[in-house]
Amino acid sequence: MIINGVTIDETFAEAFPMKGTRIIITAQNLDWAMNSAVAFTGFATSVIACGCEASIEQTLDPSETPDGRPGVACLIFAMGGKGLAKQVETRAGQCVLTAPTTALFSGIEGDEGKEIALGKNLRYFGDGFQISKMIDGKRYWRIPVMDGEFLTQENTGVVSAVGGGNFLILAESQPQALAACEAAIKAMKKIPNVIMPFPGGVVRSGSKVGSKYKALMASTNDAFCPTLKGQTKTECSPEVESVMEIVIDGLTKEDIDKAMRVGIQAACDLGADNGIRRISAGNYGGKLGPFHFHLREIMA
Amino acid sequence: MSALTFTLKVDIAQRVDCSPLTPDKLAGKSVDDIAAMELVSGRLSLPVAELFDISGNDVNNIQFKNSSSKLDHIGHAMSQGTVTVMGDVGAYLGQFMTGGNIAVHGNSFIYSGCEMKGGQIKINGNAGDFVGAARSGYKNGMTGGTIIITGNSGQRTGDHMRRGMILIEGNAGDYCGARMVSGTIAVIGDVGRHLGYGMKRGTLLLTKTPAHGISANFNDCGAHTLSFLPLMFTAFKKLDSVFAKLEPFSRVQRYAGDVGGLGMGEILVNLEG
Repeated sequence: MIINGVTIDETFAEAFPMKGTRIIITAQNLDWAMNSAVAFTGFATSVIACGCEASIEQTLDPSETPDGRPGVACLIFAMGGKGLAKQVETRAGQCVLTAPTTALFSGIEGDEGKEIALGKNLRYFGDGFQISKMIDGKRYWRIPVMDGEFLTQENTGVVSAVGGGNFLILAESQPQALAACEAAIKAMKKIPNVIMPFPGGVVRSGSKVGSKYKALMASTNDAFCPTLKGQTKTECSPEVESVMEIVIDGLTKEDIDKAMRVGIQAACDLGADNGIRRISAGNYGGKLGPFHFHLREIMA
Repeated sequence: MSALTFTLKVDIAQRVDCSPLTPDKLAGKSVDDIAAMELVSGRLSLPVAELFDISGNDVNNIQFKNSSSKLDHIGHAMSQGTVTVMGDVGAYLGQFMTGGNIAVHGNSFIYSGCEMKGGQIKINGNAGDFVGAARSGYKNGMTGGTIIITGNSGQRTGDHMRRGMILIEGNAGDYCGARMVSGTIAVIGDVGRHLGYGMKRGTLLLTKTPAHGISANFNDCGAHTLSFLPLMFTAFKKLDSVFAKLEPFSRVQRYAGDVGGLGMGEILVNLEG
């Protein structure tokens, strides 16, 4: 398959099951909601070392938030419910509770009503002055803080999700690869229910499963490292000088399908004239996960 | 199916315990079975048919017509369905109810919503004393659900109330929120004396400054913009009540008390009106 001179490889991306939730941070204005959301989703690029993968999903108008203030929706994913609960709680405590004027809400219903704590344990920061309020069947906590009150929903829903959807952009130069990634990310950010957790949505250190070093579970994806073209079994053709990856986590496989489609299309729109040569994917021979995203099916 | 309707046909001398006439307890019964059921009235047990004309057959939609303030325990411990009352009701309306809806088009006597756990009671009229309260000697009043009173409520509204919401569109009598453990009482009209007496926790939300002032047992915590109030007003909008049309406010004067008790309760007085 060739789109605008760009070859779509006959391969598939592998993804794995995760647990996820959406939280909504509101504040007096969007700047402060964003300050908190950026902190909440910081150091959350990969479960390999961060414990979770998180990013900002979208900004919300006052009409879309529970308390009628500007807000930011964040998605956060972890390998299991327990790990997710720990990450959500510590991040909420250090990055939202601390941020001026913010309030914190759940943005999703859990699978079969399954929930994890959001502000449930943060309430103890109130040292006995915290106040519980049941509003419309949901429990909220009002925690007195120095700027007034921090309002947080007690729990947030947990859903089964998919992590690690991806595609690789192979280009003739580093600037051209990056330009294609930027175009792809711009298009993908319009798709709901997905995040691209790496810095700016792009990762240059794609990994393969395993390593020659026993202590490491992942190592550099040497087949796509252009400088190793003559040293290893390479996937890079002679004209490819740079490869970048976009990783996608989503609430469902279909959400990731959609995001991959618009992302790959945006990269292909730049075309071979702009040095974009191939689109490939992180295929680990079925070792990584049960969700398979066949590039040609997605772009068909 | 039409609503199962009980039309009171006699001038009753004694109070009548109507607790068996709920959707839960009448489920699966024929109209003949229901007519033969006995209700306690004073020292007597009287067949339902002796007190009421019965029509209709939908036990999930029960109506009382020509009702009287001597009909006690209407909607007792019901968990689902609808009970509509045309006329006044007696004591213990909706006591122990966990779900469903009760609508009264008249006044209620004492202990409406006493120790209820869920569901909604709407009294399109005035309510007597001890709305949503605990029975004498018991420590927990209502623990969930919503009570809407379009008129005035009597004394000791929400006495020992633990959770849930009482919305009073008219005035509340003396000792409103007395010994309240938690929950929310909101009043659009005036409130009587001794507001929040012995209150432990919970919220009394007032749209205007109490005519009799705030008790010395409540300390002024200042004027604040509280972020939970917009959520509460959004929840009000789903209700069939004047509260749904109330101009939302979040700027309030906060008083904490009763310091004679836990001191964790609050009276919030609207500053935007």
